[in-house]
Amino acid sequence: MQVALKIWRYDGETGERRLQDYELDAPEWATLLDVLDLIKDQVDGSLAYRKSCRMMICGSCGMRMDGAAVLACKMRMAEVVDAGRVPVISPMGNLPVVKDLVVDMEPFWAKMRAMQPWLRPGYNEADEEREFLVSQEQMNVIHKEALCINCGCCVSECNSMESDPDFLGPAALAKGMRFVGDARDAATVERLEAYNSEHGIWDCTRCYFCQERCPKGVDPRDAIAKLGAESIRHGVDRDMGAKHAKWFVQSAKTTGWLREEELIPKTQGWVSTVKQVQFAMSLMRKGKARPLPIPHVAEGVEEARALYDLVKEQGRDGALGIVQGEHALARIEFTEEGGARRAAPEIEPGVEPPPAEG
Amino acid sequence: MDQNGFPEKVAYYTGCLATLSAKELDSSTRSLAVRLGLELETLEAVTCCGAGDIHEAEPDYYLHLNARILAYAEATGAETLMTICNVCTLNLRQANWQLKIDDQLRARVSRNLEAVGVPAYSGGVEVRHLLWLVAEGEGHERLKAAAHRGLRGLRVAPFYGCQILRPSKLMGFEDPDRPWSLEAIIQACGGEAVDYPAKIKCCGFPIIAAREETALGELIQPIEQAIEAGADAMVTPCPLCHLSLDAWQQKLEAATGREFRLPILHLAQLIGVAAGIEESELRFKRHVVSVDPVLDKLAT
Ligand code: SF4
Ligand code: SF4
Ligand code: FES
Repeated sequence: MQVALKIWRYDGETGERRLQDYELDAPEWATLLDVLDLIKDQVDGSLAYRKSCRMMICGSCGMRMDGAAVLACKMRMAEVVDAGRVPVISPMGNLPVVKDLVVDMEPFWAKMRAMQPWLRPGYNEADEEREFLVSQEQMNVIHKEALCINCGCCVSECNSMESDPDFLGPAALAKGMRFVGDARDAATVERLEAYNSEHGIWDCTRCYFCQERCPKGVDPRDAIAKLGAESIRHGVDRDMGAKHAKWFVQSAKTTGWLREEELIPKTQGWVSTVKQVQFAMSLMRKGKARPLPIPHVAEGVEEARALYDLVKEQGRDGALGIVQGEHALARIEFTEEGGARRAAPEIEPGVEPPPAEG
Repeated sequence: MDQNGFPEKVAYYTGCLATLSAKELDSSTRSLAVRLGLELETLEAVTCCGAGDIHEAEPDYYLHLNARILAYAEATGAETLMTICNVCTLNLRQANWQLKIDDQLRARVSRNLEAVGVPAYSGGVEVRHLLWLVAEGEGHERLKAAAHRGLRGLRVAPFYGCQILRPSKLMGFEDPDRPWSLEAIIQACGGEAVDYPAKIKCCGFPIIAAREETALGELIQPIEQAIEAGADAMVTPCPLCHLSLDAWQQKLEAATGREFRLPILHLAQLIGVAAGIEESELRFKRHVVSVDPVLDKLAT
């Protein structure tokens, strides 16, 4: 097939940037990475990009196609060609560009290191002379987070990181959840305190770009929601973001609807709210706020309250409440890729799998 | 009714904002439904969807609250639960998807619902945003017929926001990187759609109370780009985006020392103007940024 594309070239030494056109013949099965290899071999040896495994494992080849981060070795070109598109290839976003499609991953690794991505167990197997078994259900909590290959595709379009470059971001926070959710780790509260920092979990604006881009199904935004739920479960809730989230629960329990007018004071505290009196007045003039909020109570709110008590009794607190949907996800993915695994015991929700055969 | 067909009757979920700070969205939607021949059965005995916050604070409670909304929607006999907010759409679709796909989970949640006097949920409802109902098919034809007054080539910037596009595995209506529905509606109403890159990005609303500076850094992008592209107004399918774009625009002006004054319309208001719905229903007086320049332009 005939492939046409445009590549943003960048020379780190001179700062020169230009969009270069390429057109070449490539096999039907070619990925974006195969096409780049052909260009480098046959057309232009000076083109710079990263690669290693060529099979979606090493995480080296993240780059943007028409503004969306992809793994070059996963992206089949046939569908792009069939759609008549001439894609623009550029380096990932939110990371400094070194040359052409190569970005400096150091800020990415620095945030990763800040998560202390190693196990800090509260026991010593040798001392206690016994094994510590972790059940499948306990591992399911971090199944998706453990799939990360550190490619940076999620970071590339993170809207919060674009606005606050110090935001820890989706990859690092997903790694954080991988350890917070690990039954063997004993540093949970200490970790949650650290991840609740100014540039931590409550800095996420829920744009879901990370979830859309991740080529491995890590779902980093869900991992951040799990960290939020774990923080609140462990009483790590000083951050304004945690207070904001808790106010929605309080509203639903008491009136059913959001008590919107009290949201800012409940999040920021009365002192800083009073400082915003001019802004509040402008909203009041438009009927968007009232001087004395009168909560509007939903019909049947006692059912919502009773549900809250019932759910709390059942104790699926924290991240466990989110894991439920992932059993469903596991089933879909296994079904699509091989129907035979549909009834595989390890993906039955809440059931301990039998020991492996052989 | 087929998957993308036009339902004659829907269960209507207003969500919090349309009954609070965005009352103009509720009245516009109701007037528009009459023009489209769409019967709305308003869900009264329901709560907030949790707006992503309850999902983050108490995920199991989030699931049950949304299951309760879905159960009451199912009890109306309608197959479609219509939303008018991105965030409600994501929260309800996410819960619905989990409940439909996982029988054991649905059984547990239904048992809990019944224990507090709510009907069980069998998974028979599809959650769809008003945007999707009028973007194609029969709904789009009815929209064209209703929008008889037109928009006289008004230059309108479509702003999608996040949670109507992503995650696409839960939304599935259009390509999240190349959406077309708002553009199709703007054109059908006689306006001209203005293109700009930030139309699929975040307005900053979810963190506007807790991280104002970061949020304003997001909010400025669509506003700035739309003005640069020559927009007379912006339209959004989400009342939270609307609040951010309209009410917080003054903070953006204060922070940057610049003047934007970009009028922001709810989706139902934009169609409503083209359909000749009275000002008393569209209630532009409730906006912080004046919509008068748009109305003047259409009057001349
Ligand atoms: S959802 Fe949060 S972490 Fe993910 S890309 Fe958006 S702001 Fe970043
Ligand atoms: S979470 Fe996904 S996108 Fe982000 S670094 Fe890991 S594998 Fe890549
Ligand atoms: S080359 Fe290893 S992931 Fe693409």
